Amino acid sequence: MSPTAVNALAAALAVAIPALATAWAQSRIGPAIAASMAEKPELSTVAVLMIAIPETMVILGFVVAMVILVRTG
Amino acid sequence: MILPMSRVRIMGPRQRLDQVLAALQDLGLLHLSAPEAPTPLEPVQLTPTQARAREHLRAALADTDQALNALGAGTGPPTAAPVATATADLARWARLAWQVRRATERLAVRVAVLEDERALILKYQQFFSAFRAMLETESRWPSATAYHVLLKRGDAATIPALRGSLASVIGDEFQLYSHPLPSGETAVLVVVSAHAADQVERLLADARVQEIPVPKAFGGGSLTEAIPRMLARLGEIPTDLQKVEQERAALARDHGPALRRARLALHDWLQALDVVPLSIATARAFVIEGWLPTRTRGDLETGLRQKCGDEVVVTEVAREDWQSDQAPVVLSNPRLLRPFEALIGLMPLPRYGSIDPTPFVAVFFPAFFGLMVGDIGYGVILAGLGLLLHAKSRPGSTWRNVAEIIGPCALFSILAGFLYGELFGDLGTRWLGLRPLLFSREEAVVPFLLLSLALGVVHILLGMVLGVVSARRHPRQAMGRGIAALMVVLVILALLAAVDVLPRRFFSPAVIGLLVAFPLLIIAEGLVAMIELLTTLGNILSYARIMALGVASVMLAVVANRMVGALGSVLVGTVFALLFHLVNFSIAMFSPTIHALRLHYVEFFGKFYSPGGLRYQPLGHWTRVPEPARATPRTTRHVA
Repeated sequence: MSPTAVNALAAALAVAIPALATAWAQSRIGPAIAASMAEKPELSTVAVLMIAIPETMVILGFVVAMVILVRTG
Repeated sequence: MILPMSRVRIMGPRQRLDQVLAALQDLGLLHLSAPEAPTPLEPVQLTPTQARAREHLRAALADTDQALNALGAGTGPPTAAPVATATADLARWARLAWQVRRATERLAVRVAVLEDERALILKYQQFFSAFRAMLETESRWPSATAYHVLLKRGDAATIPALRGSLASVIGDEFQLYSHPLPSGETAVLVVVSAHAADQVERLLADARVQEIPVPKAFGGGSLTEAIPRMLARLGEIPTDLQKVEQERAALARDHGPALRRARLALHDWLQALDVVPLSIATARAFVIEGWLPTRTRGDLETGLRQKCGDEVVVTEVAREDWQSDQAPVVLSNPRLLRPFEALIGLMPLPRYGSIDPTPFVAVFFPAFFGLMVGDIGYGVILAGLGLLLHAKSRPGSTWRNVAEIIGPCALFSILAGFLYGELFGDLGTRWLGLRPLLFSREEAVVPFLLLSLALGVVHILLGMVLGVVSARRHPRQAMGRGIAALMVVLVILALLAAVDVLPRRFFSPAVIGLLVAFPLLIIAEGLVAMIELLTTLGNILSYARIMALGVASVMLAVVANRMVGALGSVLVGTVFALLFHLVNFSIAMFSPTIHALRLHYVEFFGKFYSPGGLRYQPLGHWTRVPEPARATPRTTRHVA
């Protein structure tokens, strides 16, 4: 496998794996927070935060992927 | 900022208590709180008459709310001032509210019955359509009985089993027809010999298959005979529903304004009774305590003197005699910053004596949003939407607040667009020769990342400095927070020196400083401070999301522009490009908002924010009819 392909694969995995992890986390948080908001609408702020928290994983994965691509040309 | 508050004590002759409470309600300045009651003072109890009136008021209010909700007449025109109340009014309003509530309940029952009837007829209609030809010959089966069965979605697989059971019980003296319906259900028609009917009915009952017999109201028996009557009825149902709606509209028109006025006055009256137990008294004198912004204390004194005379005295409780935690909170910011109080309102209020973060949010929220969106075109569209929303919304409403927050966000998006040289992605560069003033986000990913992290450092350090300020009354805690902030600075200096961004000579002093500060931090804040320090560094890395969302946004915009040439037809490409830009714009409005909020609520506020403040709710008059669903004292009051 050429170095370029390895770099591209590394970048892809750097996004894909955290994306799956984020999706899994959000799939658990979403229903739970929806159920909570049905009983307590004032939890909307918490809902925003809870949904945004796992996105950190994929965002940092994206940053790592971009750095891999930029550093390796 | 959080307004300075004063705790005041009002004293006067016992017989003036009701007059003083009424005056306080008119003035709308004092947030009442129960004073301590040293002997011989005791909390004032409602008289039996007042207690009964309160129960009646609550019941009448509940009826009024239900009636207004059912009529959809909760949000009517504002009433200038509360109407005067008398016992006769209460009885009249209670009767009216009860009558209208009952009437709306009867209308709701009629609607439910009509909807059920319609749903039933539609089921029969589908059934009839499925077996029309067969059912039309039903009258010619003198020795046969027909069973109409509807199987739920997914139960069609049970038909072979049903057929097998029928065969085992009555042999071949039956015919079974099935037909899938558009609703997903399966219509099943079973025709059996009349003498086998009892066995089949038992079988269907044992199998828990629900037969749908023709309703008696439509003649019963043959479906063929009933269907024309059912279809005729189906045509009448919309008219009946319309009649119900007309009756509801008539109720709303005839009684809505009266109910809204009643609701306003009932609230006022109930509130006046609810605050009575917050007073303490002897046989001859009373004491009331409460909070108000210090700057309005003079207004309270003047107002009370005018309404109640010189016998009623107002004194200020010394600052040493109350705790900050007891004081309610009023946020007061300049006009330009005020819309951002809504973003603080999504969190629990800050405690009295802590820091109001509104000014910082007003600067950093639009800046972060703008850096993430960073497109002149999107910024202009957003500004247009903001102006439209501003024009369509009422002053003081949530939508007006949103419009006023959109304004600075759009401005920062446009400014960032110039910095990145972006107009609908790379369209500005390709068509207008637009050049970035700072860097292009498409190419300069690492500089953008560094800019985001640098913003994170500034924002987090500002939060830590505010943390030191808010802990000023606790020297040890303040020192610990200060050392933590210093260590963050030293870590960053050491890192920058290590990667040659700063001269190498900074590295050793920074590391030595860290080694000295570390034990001091442990002494001041304990071992947990070490974890907090690492969390703070993680918080700074979290600002990388500004770069990540920004790059994702521009990449999507560039992909949208590429569609024009990539799909063969220019027209199709342009339509797809516009759609893609629309999607990107929607994402660009949603994601940056969520993430800019998160950066504030989690990363920034975590360094200094002290939630748990009590909302300032002065005793006053309702000046407009609040939404029935939100009928809490948080809604607008008259504040003199």
